[in-house]
Amino acid sequence: MDYQFPHQLFPGFYNCGPPDVDLKVDPERWGSYNGVIPQGNVGPRSSWSFTPRHHIRGETWCHTEPVPMPLLSPKRAFLGPLTPPDPQDFTEHMQNFFTDHSQDAFGGMSGVLGENFHFRPKNRKESRRKDAVSVRGMKSGPDILKHKVCHQTYQFNLLKKYSGLMSDVIHDIPPELLGSLLYEELAGQRDRMLFFENATGGALVFVPFSQSSSISSSQRGCLLYPAGQGLDRLNFHEVEMHYQGVSPGLDARSSKPISFQLQAPVRQISYASNSQDSCVAVRADHFCGVWRFSEGNEPRLLQVINTEEVATCINVSPHVMGEVLVANESTVASLWTVGQGMQKVRVEDSNLYFNAQSSWRWCEFSAHPRVMLYADRTGVELTDMRESPACSHTLFRISRSSECRSSERLVLSKYLGQVHPFHHLITTQCSAYVVDERFPCVPMLKWDHMMESPPVFCHAIPDSAAFVSVGGESSTTKLLLSSYSSQEITMLQYSGGRAQACLGRGPPQALLRPREALKHLPVQIPHRLHAVSRRMSSPAAGLTCIDGTARRGSMCVLQLTEAGDIFYQVLEHKLADGSTPRSPAGGSPPERAAEDPSPPALGSEGAERLPGESQTVIPDTPVKDTGGPTRGMAACTAVAETPEREQPTRTTLNFDHEGRLRDQLIQMDLGNDDGNVAEVDPAGNAKKHSDEEAVNITDGPAPVTLSAGSLATWKQWLQKQNHCGKKSRPQSSQHFRIRTTGLLSLSNTGARDACEKGHTESLRTHMRSCMSSRSLLVHSTVSASLGVLDVVPMPSVVDTDAWSDPLSQRLTLSWQGEGLCQAWWEEELGTNREAKMEALRRKRRQAKEARRAAGHRLKLSRSFDSSANYQSERDDFSSIGWSSPASRDVWSDREGCGPLSELATFLEETQRDPTPSSSHTVPTSTASPKRVGDKVSGHHTPGGTGTPTKSPRAAETCRKATRRPAEDSLDTLIPTQDDLSQKDFLEKEDERDRLRIPAAGSSSQPHGSSSQPHGSSSQPHSSFSQPHGSSSQPHGSFSQPHGSFSQPHGSFSQPHGSSSQPHGSFSQPHGSFSQPHGSSSQPHGSFSQPHGSLLLPSRVSRLTSSQGSQGLPGRSQGSQPKKKTRMGF
Amino acid sequence: MDDWTADLEVDVICSDDDSTRRGKSLKLPLVKPVCAKRKSGYGFHQSCRMCLEKIREAMLHHRWQEAAEYMACCSQILECKSEYRVPPNKVLIRRISTEILHHHPNTTMEDYNVVYERMKHSGFKHYLMISLEHAFHLMLHGKIKDAKQKLCDAEGWKYGKESAIQIQNTRLIQAYRSLLDYIIWCDTKSSLSNKDYFDMQNALNSFRKASVNLKEILKHPGVWDPFILSYVDMLEFYQDHDEALKVLTDYALDENFPPNPNAQVYLYRYLKQHDAPQKKQMKNLHSLVPSHELMLDYISYLLQAEKKASAQKALAVILEMLDFACWRTNLDLWRSLQGVIQKLQMEDNFESIVRETMASRKDWWYALHFTSFHGRKDSKENPELLEVKASLAKILCPDRELKYAAE
Repeated sequence: MDYQFPHQLFPGFYNCGPPDVDLKVDPERWGSYNGVIPQGNVGPRSSWSFTPRHHIRGETWCHTEPVPMPLLSPKRAFLGPLTPPDPQDFTEHMQNFFTDHSQDAFGGMSGVLGENFHFRPKNRKESRRKDAVSVRGMKSGPDILKHKVCHQTYQFNLLKKYSGLMSDVIHDIPPELLGSLLYEELAGQRDRMLFFENATGGALVFVPFSQSSSISSSQRGCLLYPAGQGLDRLNFHEVEMHYQGVSPGLDARSSKPISFQLQAPVRQISYASNSQDSCVAVRADHFCGVWRFSEGNEPRLLQVINTEEVATCINVSPHVMGEVLVANESTVASLWTVGQGMQKVRVEDSNLYFNAQSSWRWCEFSAHPRVMLYADRTGVELTDMRESPACSHTLFRISRSSECRSSERLVLSKYLGQVHPFHHLITTQCSAYVVDERFPCVPMLKWDHMMESPPVFCHAIPDSAAFVSVGGESSTTKLLLSSYSSQEITMLQYSGGRAQACLGRGPPQALLRPREALKHLPVQIPHRLHAVSRRMSSPAAGLTCIDGTARRGSMCVLQLTEAGDIFYQVLEHKLADGSTPRSPAGGSPPERAAEDPSPPALGSEGAERLPGESQTVIPDTPVKDTGGPTRGMAACTAVAETPEREQPTRTTLNFDHEGRLRDQLIQMDLGNDDGNVAEVDPAGNAKKHSDEEAVNITDGPAPVTLSAGSLATWKQWLQKQNHCGKKSRPQSSQHFRIRTTGLLSLSNTGARDACEKGHTESLRTHMRSCMSSRSLLVHSTVSASLGVLDVVPMPSVVDTDAWSDPLSQRLTLSWQGEGLCQAWWEEELGTNREAKMEALRRKRRQAKEARRAAGHRLKLSRSFDSSANYQSERDDFSSIGWSSPASRDVWSDREGCGPLSELATFLEETQRDPTPSSSHTVPTSTASPKRVGDKVSGHHTPGGTGTPTKSPRAAETCRKATRRPAEDSLDTLIPTQDDLSQKDFLEKEDERDRLRIPAAGSSSQPHGSSSQPHGSSSQPHSSFSQPHGSSSQPHGSFSQPHGSFSQPHGSFSQPHGSSSQPHGSFSQPHGSFSQPHGSSSQPHGSFSQPHGSLLLPSRVSRLTSSQGSQGLPGRSQGSQPKKKTRMGF
Repeated sequence: MDDWTADLEVDVICSDDDSTRRGKSLKLPLVKPVCAKRKSGYGFHQSCRMCLEKIREAMLHHRWQEAAEYMACCSQILECKSEYRVPPNKVLIRRISTEILHHHPNTTMEDYNVVYERMKHSGFKHYLMISLEHAFHLMLHGKIKDAKQKLCDAEGWKYGKESAIQIQNTRLIQAYRSLLDYIIWCDTKSSLSNKDYFDMQNALNSFRKASVNLKEILKHPGVWDPFILSYVDMLEFYQDHDEALKVLTDYALDENFPPNPNAQVYLYRYLKQHDAPQKKQMKNLHSLVPSHELMLDYISYLLQAEKKASAQKALAVILEMLDFACWRTNLDLWRSLQGVIQKLQMEDNFESIVRETMASRKDWWYALHFTSFHGRKDSKENPELLEVKASLAKILCPDRELKYAAE
């Protein structure tokens, strides 16, 4: 009696106006009755009864399995990100664009600027512009971008400067524009991930075939779903629902699907059937197509239309075959009569009731074939198509009349023609309404559906009259709602609508989600788990249900995800006494379990089935009994969860132990799977388990454990998923790589091969035995087969003397003790300078005294000594650190270049100094001579650098002494005698010095050659200078000042490449140097150096012997001529 | 009432929680479950929130036992009186506990009473609603006296400045109380056989008490089917026909009221009962619900009229009813269509009348009724209908080559 209208409706106020309750304030309406109506005839009080609008109890529906089952074998799929992108990350995307598509990002300007720059080393002969700038250093900047580095550590000053100079011209797309567009796009993507309105309606449909007999053990039908990576292949797939066995299951293997490749992803499938023919309408973004098919006939495409605007809705008429309603984003709703054309029914530029800023439109048929529902986000209107312009009146609107909350929006409208000819379902983000079109504006029923994201898919299951007799209670209509992003499925139940008012029955029930299935499945290794969970949490794309409520008391809910997977879950109706209503033919559940224990198997399309029988791994069929051809297969399927082991085990299987080994492997691998060994192996146990579970299921709303059959199905699915996921796994970001080819190569001699083979064999046997006993393969086990290893010699003792840079010195010292290190630092920083000077003065005084006492003993050699004195002083001076030759070199080289090259030079210059501190060194070092000079001149002791004389024999100790500056701290030579005029000398002499360096090597060193045995004095130099001969300027400039303070004899210890440079100045600066000592010394100085080395030995040996007697060994430059002159005073 | 400030605080926090973050840019504001909304909080509050989430999940999956166990664990949430932290939404917790009680096997009425009473006093905003729910619960369990007492208590309750919702709730409470008065009145009336004066007085008292509130609530737009039925019943008993007719007419024809088909039906029945002219009322109902079952009455009424125009009207009404899916296979309706056609066939301009009425249907009616598929189906399920329809097919769709009765 569908035409009846309820005799009484539930009372309630009818409020006009916009909703006034905030979306977030009102808590969920659990446990409320929401109004009652009295029922009873006029009589005594006891005859009255009441009916609540929300009845406490509905039907009890329980899952047969705790997880949804996969219907199809997994195919390759495109998986989106798990979490919606944050629009604030647009800078990161811009960076990726700039690095990955630099040609697109900078192509235009780089074409213009390109010829002015080059990235090659200078000496390459290439045709390039004369004034092209070399930007070699820049390349490392972009290179390092490939890796995740600390940007504080890796600073590219040159790059920064260029970027400051040119950042506003080199972009083809202005970054501001690109950034704002990217932001918009990301925000759009985020919104799409949270709620994708084009998917509304869902692209999964089950068309049941007419049943030959009403009580058959299965139900057949055609499942329509999109497949392929882009969900752009429409599949018509015949499936069969089994009601026999332990639990009902769905089988998709019996037939191959019929596919139609489309141009765009399928968004919605709508169908109507008159139990003979079915009419299927498919909506993609820019086209819609209509197919017709029936049980016997293959689907036939009838017509396709292109829509200029994105189509938002398609719905097939349940009244007249071949009529389709189409709505699109240009807000036009048209009636499409297939084969005849489109008729515009309604055009609405704005939203119906208020401005919701949405161009989403939806239309549905209603109880009258010429009245349609026209919906947008603000409400629904009934539109009569016969009249033009179409007359319409409100069916539902977001307002207080339907107790909406503010900012609630209509999400889906669905004609429940199968359930009740006048009922429509309307959902919003927080509520679901059942609306009767005979009584517009006031919803018959309202639920809080309590879903996280708005429900966009819906399937209605009409109440089954057959149940009324069985259950006692009247049966309910089930509404299944499913949301897009969160995959939720919620079942709402209601009854009434005809003679009785609509009653909600029971609270909403959440069904299983695929993304929550993983906790019931075998444990996976992390990266696989990640891949699988990502796949299983891809948003839902459709929902349908195979309705077996009438005959079997069960239903099968199918859900399509955007990854192209279909998951199904079977629910069974439980009566109050806990039994399952079944039609008599089925028998009681335990009986059927005994009849047919084979569980439903994973469906796979024939062509894509794995080789061999895909059922082999299911434990119900004993693994040990599987035939020969499937052996390998069984083993392979069993190792699903450990990809690392997959390869070895497969190769192992090629060996002759295959049969024995396989069982062990299975046992092992399944042992890892959450301790399911008992269930799976041996097979007999598994069967018992599953039977027990089947009995246990009846207790709770959902069984806690997965039955063995389903577990096997899942395992197989997971394995296939991993298999196909492997190919599509995206390339991970680049890592630093070390080439290992050739590192561990074996020699290819035949004899060795044979020997090696024996080793390998024995090793493998060991490994197998270890695996079977689950022990570790340790060295002691296999050492016999591998033979004794060669003894690796201990590395030689580290020679710290080989490292002479300050850092190494410091580190070496710090090993020797903290005090030493501290002293070194004091030297380094010059904090002990006062003390040293004091000590020096004291010493000098003592020396004076001594000289006075000694009289004029050394007159003979005096003149020579004085010249040597100059030279040593020059040495000292040079060690103070004048402007480094390299930098001058740079400047001098760069003459006559273009402006760009000048700029480049400047940038490069500053960029060469890696740290800010070092870049400051240049100015200070140039300034230091003056400063030091001033100070020293204040003492009026130009020759004050003199140190106690030293034995020339102490060459060895001398070298050591330089290593231990702390011991010789008193001997520091404070540089003196530096006039500004010297600067000129130095600069002029530069060129010559540099030329001399290679030849001079060690021979040019002996500054103190005047008084020292050449060989011994030069030794330290060579040893110092060699490691640093090529050391770059920064070192020099850095350590020059320190050399003068901390090293007892700056000229000697100066451990830098520039150490050879000062020598050039030896021979000339007599004039200036000699000033304090009189001009007499000048001629000596001019020839002393080249010849000194030849003349000296005897004299020096004499000198050293005399100095040695003074008890000052270990002074590297003990032969300071000044001392001698003074001593000679 | 002790923590009304806390309730207000909840509101403030909830309202500016999500909207600032994403509500603006997202076209469709999304809801989050209340318990998942606030992510901040430490220690106790955090565990409370997690507990609530667990409860909610268990309830959504209909695992009532599990939910009840969790609920027993987190009863301290309600005792929490922290001034600095926002307490969890107590109303939600109360509602959840009610739902759990609904599904718990060992629930007693005492438990419900305790929960409802505590719920009432957990916040002033929901006092009236919860009182009403409490009364509903008592009514559903046959405790009409108790329910009436609860409603009387709630009637006198007031707090601060009355909001619109509060006023409406008060009115609803009054109306339900009056409904219970009516039931008591019926009770008294049924035992009125001995014409006891005292009982008469009692009944009159009940009537007076009920009528004041019922009359009041009927002035406000809304759906008041049970209330108006009881009110009219009482009025009829006391022979106040004018008032009854006025109330029914207002209910049916007032523009401010929602277009309730039942209002038309009640008025029609009342008119019919008192032999008043019903034609206008039928017209009203027809314009509102052309598929209503009372249209059968309308058709027979029109056919009785013996006028040419009314026969034509009857034809239009029948054809319109046949448009609707629920009447398409109704044999009686097809029969009456047959009768109307036969009657019209006697007219001169029969064909033009039919063509005129069928004009808007001509391109889809055959597909709706007379395809070969319908023929097969009818012949299988209802051969009699096939016969009637076949006789009419050629008349209604003369332009079409129909395959309806081909087999």
